[in-house]
Amino acid sequence: MPPNATIIWKEEEILRNIMPTPLIDRLSVELGAQEPWPKDVKLYQPYEVEQILLPDNANCLAVQAFLKMCNLDYQVEPRPNAEAMSPTGRVPFIKAGRFVTAELEGIVQFVNGKGISLTDKLDNEQKSDMRAYMTLIRNVIEIAELYICWVDKETYNEVTSVRNGSVYPWPLNHIQNREKRSQIIKKLKVLNWYSKTIEEVYQEVENCCEALSVRLDNKHYFFGEVPTELDALVFGHLFTIITTPLPRNDLVEIVRRYPSLINLVKRIEMEYFKKEGKL
Amino acid sequence: MGVIHAKVLDETATNIKRFSKQTGIAEPLEKPDIREVDLENIQVTVDKINVDGLTRTKDDIIEDCIKDLFQAQHFQEVLLKAHKARIKLEELGCFKNIGVYIDVSKGPKARSDGLEVTFDVKEQRRVTGGVTTHIGNNEGVLLVGLRLPNLFGRGEKIQLEYSHGSKKTSNFNCSFIKPFRGKYRPTLTAAILQNQSEWPNSGYKQQERGILFDLGFYSNSLFKHNLQWEGIVRNLSTLTRTTSFDVREQSGVSLKSSFKHLLSIDLRDDHIFPNTGSFVQLTSELAGIGGDVGFLKNEVSVQDNYYLFDGHVLQASFIAGYLSSISNTRKISIADRCYLGGPLSVRGFETRGVGPHSDGDALGTNSYWAAGLHLFTPLPFRPGRGGFGELFRTHFFLNAGNVGNFNLVKMNKSDIIQVLISNVRISYGVGVALKLGNIARLEVNYCFPYKFDKGDQTHPGIQFGIGVQFL
Repeated sequence: MPPNATIIWKEEEILRNIMPTPLIDRLSVELGAQEPWPKDVKLYQPYEVEQILLPDNANCLAVQAFLKMCNLDYQVEPRPNAEAMSPTGRVPFIKAGRFVTAELEGIVQFVNGKGISLTDKLDNEQKSDMRAYMTLIRNVIEIAELYICWVDKETYNEVTSVRNGSVYPWPLNHIQNREKRSQIIKKLKVLNWYSKTIEEVYQEVENCCEALSVRLDNKHYFFGEVPTELDALVFGHLFTIITTPLPRNDLVEIVRRYPSLINLVKRIEMEYFKKEGKL
Repeated sequence: MGVIHAKVLDETATNIKRFSKQTGIAEPLEKPDIREVDLENIQVTVDKINVDGLTRTKDDIIEDCIKDLFQAQHFQEVLLKAHKARIKLEELGCFKNIGVYIDVSKGPKARSDGLEVTFDVKEQRRVTGGVTTHIGNNEGVLLVGLRLPNLFGRGEKIQLEYSHGSKKTSNFNCSFIKPFRGKYRPTLTAAILQNQSEWPNSGYKQQERGILFDLGFYSNSLFKHNLQWEGIVRNLSTLTRTTSFDVREQSGVSLKSSFKHLLSIDLRDDHIFPNTGSFVQLTSELAGIGGDVGFLKNEVSVQDNYYLFDGHVLQASFIAGYLSSISNTRKISIADRCYLGGPLSVRGFETRGVGPHSDGDALGTNSYWAAGLHLFTPLPFRPGRGGFGELFRTHFFLNAGNVGNFNLVKMNKSDIIQVLISNVRISYGVGVALKLGNIARLEVNYCFPYKFDKGDQTHPGIQFGIGVQFL
């Protein structure tokens, strides 16, 4: 622990006695932000080979891409209970010193707090533009992934239930699968996606890809020569969709219709992931 | 001839003689014609037993309870056996109140020394229930319950309970209880349960959902056994964002399937403020036949009481436990580990305050021992003597204990003893204990932690404890 961390810890102890917890949580995040990026940052996610599901994998990869774009060191730490460990209940999350932060948005904010940002050069309009596209991916591509994993019978029976239940003993695997499935369906119902047919879902994805490809418009990255968190998020989702074998490969077909997006994904992979392998 | 009350539990031949002597001496002038009667010399036979007020209770279980009475030879035996029969009837849990009447038998077949015993019972309603408050370990609990007693006429019952505690625990429990006939008095319980509890001292909360089967029986009149199997799905999660990462790592769902054996021998004259007698409880739990949680946990609890003089009682108690892992693939979670400290165990420390902590959260160990020496005395100057004052005791205590992580298999004996005796925690203090109903004890103590470790969380000064089982 760096020397100022102990001071922070003590401050927190004092605060704990006089303030309600949510306030301390926020304060501790802000206090933690003053530290430089620690060396032992760990990124927790489910097991890649036997456990992780398409949407989770996409989000984990997006965070990894973002951290690599920022040139920040981290180690991937696979855990079967990563989801339960996460402060928001969703993967991935990082542990930097004493602080845990989950999901891309939170991690971006945490990194920004340390004075590292990919969006420094963007003006306000571009920033809000970027946020809008990120929301679009969250609300369309991610939800479509959830739909295919949990609602489509074939995918659920052949892939999702096997992988999601793989870390639990019998009969807990069935209980957990059912519980998770009903949670996801509840969420899809709220978003009015549960009543959609699979064709309508594909149409939504296609529209989203169309919009992204128009925005990209043969540029190197979405906002010029430097990547942003939007590029990381697009990479996470599209790369996972292309490389994950599923009983239905219609999603891959749709994505493949947009060569500019495919090129972006390939570019980011070469730039940030392959380089490491060669060294 | 009147009602026999349940108070005469310790009724023996000598006691009754003494009683009759005492009454004879106390009022000799007003009733000069009183005679001393030795009940053992009155030869009688029981001709007839009536049980009034039965509607849905089956005859066979009633017969089991009362048939001993026919073997009585003399009048005193009739009284004792009638009393025993009454207790047995009470234990069935089918009746609200039971009256016993003994009369000389009448009718054409009556023998000259014949008696007729009548049990007047009132059955429980089909559905009973209510809202009550009771006391759990260091918390107050509101309990809403619904019971269907004597469901099929043989003492079976279904019980639905929901309780909510002041420390954010909540329990739901639906159980079916079936007592069986026979000399071991077996009782089978099957239950579905859901418990929710928060452990701020360890920074986690836990939800348990599962099923439980319990077979209780007596191997003789004093040795009470419980054989249990439980299958529990446990969901552990952190309480706050600042919970220690060592605790955070444990979050998630696990399945525990465990067999448990409890043996208890209770010879105390009272549960709350015993004057004399001892209590021994042995618990063994083996988890890991199915599920992903696996361990073997053995615990022992011993208490002995010595009556000194004039309401002064010396109590010595000892508890110990050892948790061992049974395989590398089965995990032991923070909820299974051993903890020490708090107003119910080693006083003068926070709850779970003894032992290793990480960022203020107690992590637990795999073994512990603790001992207590208590001197209970009546309140100074004895206010409310014989009445209200009897609910209170002054209380001097000396507690000691230790926790440690060791492996019985890998470490040799001297090392283990080293772990157990090095760094022993000691605390002492004085306080007032109060008996609440006949179920719980409340203690307000002033504690002095005398020996403790750097990592421990002590609680010097006034400590408040309320609960059922104390060290």
